[in-house]
Amino acid sequence: MRYRVVFGMILAGLLGSAYAEDKTEALAITCNNCHGVDGVSVGPNMPSIGGLPESYLKNILLEWKAGTRYSATMGRLVKGYSDEQIAALAAYFSKKPWTPAAQTTDPKLVALGKKVTARCAGCHGETGNAGDGDTPNLNGQWAEYLELEALKYRDDAVAMPNKQMRKAAQKLSEEDVKAVAEFYASQKK
Amino acid sequence: MSQFTRRDFIKALAAAYPAAVLTIPKAHAASKARVVVVGGGFGGATAARYLKMMSPTLDVTLVEKNKIYTSCPLSNEVISGFGELKDLQTGYDGLKKHGINVVFDEVAAIDPAKKSVALKSGTTLAYDALVVSPGISFNYGGVEGYTQELADTVLPHAYKAGPQTLVLRKQLMDMPDGGTFIITVPKGPFRCPPGPYERASQVAAYLMANGKTKSKVVILDANDSFSKKGLFEQAWKKFYPDMIKWVSGANDGNVIKIDPKTRMAYTNFGEHKADVLNVIPPHHAGNVAVSAGLANDKGWCPVDMLTMESSLHKDIWVVGDSCVHGELPVYAAPKSAHMAVTQAKVAAGAIIAKLNGQPAPEPFFVNTCYSIAAPDWGFSVVHVYRVEDGKLMYVKDAGGISPIETPALAVQRKLEARYAEGWLRNIMADAFA
Repeated sequence: MRYRVVFGMILAGLLGSAYAEDKTEALAITCNNCHGVDGVSVGPNMPSIGGLPESYLKNILLEWKAGTRYSATMGRLVKGYSDEQIAALAAYFSKKPWTPAAQTTDPKLVALGKKVTARCAGCHGETGNAGDGDTPNLNGQWAEYLELEALKYRDDAVAMPNKQMRKAAQKLSEEDVKAVAEFYASQKK
Repeated sequence: MSQFTRRDFIKALAAAYPAAVLTIPKAHAASKARVVVVGGGFGGATAARYLKMMSPTLDVTLVEKNKIYTSCPLSNEVISGFGELKDLQTGYDGLKKHGINVVFDEVAAIDPAKKSVALKSGTTLAYDALVVSPGISFNYGGVEGYTQELADTVLPHAYKAGPQTLVLRKQLMDMPDGGTFIITVPKGPFRCPPGPYERASQVAAYLMANGKTKSKVVILDANDSFSKKGLFEQAWKKFYPDMIKWVSGANDGNVIKIDPKTRMAYTNFGEHKADVLNVIPPHHAGNVAVSAGLANDKGWCPVDMLTMESSLHKDIWVVGDSCVHGELPVYAAPKSAHMAVTQAKVAAGAIIAKLNGQPAPEPFFVNTCYSIAAPDWGFSVVHVYRVEDGKLMYVKDAGGISPIETPALAVQRKLEARYAEGWLRNIMADAFA
């Protein structure tokens, strides 16, 4: 009996920390408006975020907050959240399953993209699924979003922190950018 | 359980720990409570869906008049022809699949004392909690000479998307080059604060794209400023120089009367001749909310800013355009779809907590509102709110409008124009799918 009481007390304590989880969920469902339920986007120009690596999510959110990484909209939003909230959101969405977007791709561009992305595989993996915990999943991400994201890396006027990515993106022709986006978008694994 | 040993305790603890951390305990006592949601727009649909997601055993009924919902966001792009109405429409099958009873009917009366909703078909729904999200109703008398009949036929306001949107599009297409398209804006607050100005931009985009460059767009405004003004004016100068003219309330822009036959708009001291006359009449909380005694003397429904529960009737939560959520200058929610959806999620959490006899959880509100001023030229306003001393406050360091001056203006505007579309797809799925 004694243990049941203690167990109850400790469980209550744990539920205390579960309340923080409740708060995380209440916070996270406001992200659904733009990024979809469980971070699975159905808008071709909005990225899916459910299942992206925790450290990647946390890093970009903090970089946006600090202003060291350019964003069109997210920077203004994320400045409203504490670092603890940012960490909780990153953890929350990283635990959701990664779901490749249902989209049709152009086989010709995909074939070209496969060639072009050979130089990307070192960091991003062959299919865009690096799996190293730091690099975002590109496999099955929305093609239009990937193409728009490349715009940022290709424009020197905006702050993007990864010099290597910047160099690589600027080497690509317009058609290559499309092909790369289509290739990764077409990958399911 | 009486044989609960120390070893069992440790095992149970080990098992409970990840469970307690990873899964959030949902509602318990609320299980069979009845929640009725009136109005199946962004606010109502989201409330119904999230109530069911947060507490699957709840008995949730959504009452909605129309079988198809048409999004107002991005409907200005239908007027200009850059978008299609069918892409803004959705039915209610998604909500039905979640186990929500969707009833296509109209509300005859809400009785807050008896906690029941009478429907026009004769059915009466009893509730433990009621969500009211009817959007807006128009005060046609606010502009002399304007009527609902005119709105439904020859003078569409198109400020509820649907058939009127297409009538206005047709009128724009039929307008000869050199014509004047007049938009009249009522005194605020009104739904979608940047809506009239985005509409003016879209009309101008159509005119430019179709070689009708001698035409004019005139905004006759009862107000002295408007949402994202600097961003709109920058876009107008760049894409439609001298085409769009904004007349503020202080400059006699307030339209008090129209003549539907001659398409004249009259202000206190002046008159304006239109080829297309688009009157946006003043509006207030949806009539069903007003009839239920949920509105204040200004026609909007005051609510507790942390829970969305009505300040006038308990156990009724008002979300979306009908509510007046907070007071300027500290905090006031714009009447946007994004706000309605976040309010609905907060209301859902507060309802379940109250049904369980628990305090309402800390609410999180955020607003993002995109406008598209020209093809691939979009911008936004963002609000983030936080509870301080029991009140909602804007987080000062966050939010605000898109930068007006930036080295990468074209990239910024292109991204946000595209995001507007992605936002719509996701917010519609969030509410209805």
